Amino acid sequence: MKQPLAALALLACAALPAGAQTAGDPVRPLVVLTEPQAASPQQYQAAEMIADAWRSLGLQVQIRPLPGQQFNQVVWYERGRWDATTWQMGGRPERSDPDELTYNLFVSANIANGYDFVGYNNPEYDRLAQAQREELDLPKRQALIRQAQELINRDQPYAFLVHPKNLVAFNRAVWDEGSMVQQAGIGIRNFWTWIGLKPRGAQRDVVLNSVAPPTNLSPFNIPGIQGSWATELVWDRLMRIGPDGLPRPWAAESVTRPTPTTVDVTLRPGMTWHDGQPVTIEDAVFSLQAPGFGDKAPMYRPFVANIANVEATGPMSMRITLKRQDAAFLVSSLSKLNLAPKHIWAPIFADLQNKPETAESIMERVPVGSGPYKFVSVKLTDQIVLEGNPAHWAKPSVNRWIMRITPNIESTLGAMRSGEMNFLTDYTGDPELLAGLAKSAPDIRVSDALDIGFKFIGYNHRRPPFNDVAFRRALSASVDREAIAADAWGGAAVPSNSWISPALAFWAAPGIDKQVPGGTVDAAKAMLKEAGYVLVGGRLHYPAGVKETTAAFQ
Amino acid sequence: MAWRLAGRLGHLLLVLWAVVSLTFVLFRLMPGDPTLNFLSPSFSEETRAALLRSFGLDRSIAEQYVIYMGNLLRGELGMSFLQGKPVAVLLADALPNTVVLTVVSLVLAYAIGIVAGAFLAFRRGGAIEAAAIPAALATRSAPEFWLGMLLLAALSFQAGWFPTGGALSPGRELGGFGAHLASADFWWHLALPALTLVLFSQGLPLLLMRATMLEVLNDEFITMARMKGLSRWSIVMRHAARNALLPVVTAFALGFGASIGGNVVVETVFAWPGIGRVLVQAVQSADYPLAQGAFILIAAVLVTMNSLADLAYSLLDPRVGRHARG
Repeated sequence: MKQPLAALALLACAALPAGAQTAGDPVRPLVVLTEPQAASPQQYQAAEMIADAWRSLGLQVQIRPLPGQQFNQVVWYERGRWDATTWQMGGRPERSDPDELTYNLFVSANIANGYDFVGYNNPEYDRLAQAQREELDLPKRQALIRQAQELINRDQPYAFLVHPKNLVAFNRAVWDEGSMVQQAGIGIRNFWTWIGLKPRGAQRDVVLNSVAPPTNLSPFNIPGIQGSWATELVWDRLMRIGPDGLPRPWAAESVTRPTPTTVDVTLRPGMTWHDGQPVTIEDAVFSLQAPGFGDKAPMYRPFVANIANVEATGPMSMRITLKRQDAAFLVSSLSKLNLAPKHIWAPIFADLQNKPETAESIMERVPVGSGPYKFVSVKLTDQIVLEGNPAHWAKPSVNRWIMRITPNIESTLGAMRSGEMNFLTDYTGDPELLAGLAKSAPDIRVSDALDIGFKFIGYNHRRPPFNDVAFRRALSASVDREAIAADAWGGAAVPSNSWISPALAFWAAPGIDKQVPGGTVDAAKAMLKEAGYVLVGGRLHYPAGVKETTAAFQ
Repeated sequence: MAWRLAGRLGHLLLVLWAVVSLTFVLFRLMPGDPTLNFLSPSFSEETRAALLRSFGLDRSIAEQYVIYMGNLLRGELGMSFLQGKPVAVLLADALPNTVVLTVVSLVLAYAIGIVAGAFLAFRRGGAIEAAAIPAALATRSAPEFWLGMLLLAALSFQAGWFPTGGALSPGRELGGFGAHLASADFWWHLALPALTLVLFSQGLPLLLMRATMLEVLNDEFITMARMKGLSRWSIVMRHAARNALLPVVTAFALGFGASIGGNVVVETVFAWPGIGRVLVQAVQSADYPLAQGAFILIAAVLVTMNSLADLAYSLLDPRVGRHARG
């Protein structure tokens, strides 16, 4: 009985294509999640190009577009379910310091619920990320950050794709080109431009656009990227990220660190709230304490999580004691937390203690801050109107700052041409269209600046074969980043191989974008072969003896 | 008549209850929850739970439904998740803009359609008809966004005669809606979206009027009028057109109801701050209370206009009422 069975097995083996005898199971069909084409045409096209490259390696790849809410739900809250996904990290001023992304994206403590949604787990990296966080010496910290980038290049937890460029345009017949401020990794659409903008003639209102409406505007709410443009003008912060990407005192006259875990702040004298009340040290202490009051300001709570104590030490000074050393505290907390008037918000927080609502949902009828602009009117689906605050030490030359919510990008371009709008701040359309506008209307000047953010494909390390470094490196090698930047992003992006944009030259590892392993489909095939993966009848199989144990994404 | 009205009212309430219940359930069947749309997904479970609690979404769907229906019966539509304002206030802000856009464009479209339809029926077979009917069909079948973009490109981007969007010039603030109506700026901004809707909407009354007129013109009483030697104008306008108006009046009422919720595309193209834009933004961001409020409002207007059309029909043509009574 045994002999016929053995003969049958031999016959079966002989019937298999060459290589099948030494191969494991075929790799299951892989699914790449992405946003729908209408929501993110560039990302969708990049996914198509990547899927084509992976198919040429012998993989069966399907692109699965999911609507925004479902996309977020699956990727962040159903972490064991998917294979690979397109994703992005946006550029925000506080990301000018690399700590937030360096620590959050790849440290294993964040695998279960945090930013490390791909499940990358490397104790060596954890050590480096923690060390840079505690290192207050800048050159030493730079070396640690660059070392971390080399490690990530080796392990390829993501296939980094591109760093996009921010495309904005302005009317130089209205605004003095010399008054535009370039902020590293942000471009000219930034806080410093809004306070320094110089009109060239009678038009003193800056009219800009947002494609999407912001959420409610409050000092304890993060109202999306566009809403933040308004809130950072209305509410002062103790520090601001400067055009050079480094934190500098703003509402604080000085900020010092007498010990690694204490920060002394002296408040700038003579500041007033928009309702005329003076800004006091009690207001500043309250602003740093309030997000920690219960769960009433959950969006801002993480930014005060490392604060052990805040107390006034004089009429204009206070001391912040940290729970542990934090090199990025000045950026990630003091440049992020808004100063809120205690006389308005303390009663609101007291009232909220017995209610399910949080401070995010509260919007004052006329929001009161102390910043260089004051609220005039807010209609979140239509327009936000701010006016320059003449009592501010950095009072702007602009009369009014008007953000129009215009979902139709073509009519926005038309408004730029006709002069109804004079600053195009939110452009997600074809770069060529914008170039065409600038060509036909010589007063329109386009500015592009490399963004701090980046686009990538996240591999789910929980699901084989993405737990295999060699497999990830081969897949990354097959991605043609130059073509993706040129075709999917229309040239408005540069190839990426790190979470730190070349715009942050001090932190970016020099030449890291050229160090992608392999770099071609043929090199990727060779890498897979070397790692034991086998092509059988054009389909990629695991190395010998490896079974496919993971169900395909449904 | 009283029974008929009561029946209509009951029918209206039933439809509204169905709409409310369906929208309530549909939104909650979507994967994920609203926090995913405006909260960085990387925030902790604790953060997400706090927000869900603040929205009342930590309760079971049945509990949420009972609470929502109870509030609705008290006239409360809840608070917008995203904007932190009462839904009723946000809808009240947007509704007048939509009503003005709809009324202006439909009245113009139907006035043009009725006159042109009557004229074409009277001049049947001529060169004018040969050109006008395809033109009416073309504008009727052209997508609204395409028509809107064409008008924007020609009359705004190129000619510069009209603004590109919004209801007022940038930064312009007016008091109540009365001040809007009295402002030339408001009407200047209304022109292009209204023209788009006029072009899109005139086809139906034109074709309807023409078809009904052709029927009526063959009726015996028209022959009688001709035999009596009445003028052509008198025959067309006083005798034929009045009798042909009935279905057009009904279509107007139905069109008004549909337009309140159907201006989504035009409002988006022209950034017109009406109910359509509120609805789109609410759905995109899973702002359940605002989206539900907008749906209820649209459904209420639609059902009411349907009922009014029905009643108007029976008043204008007594035969309808008699048939209903059997």
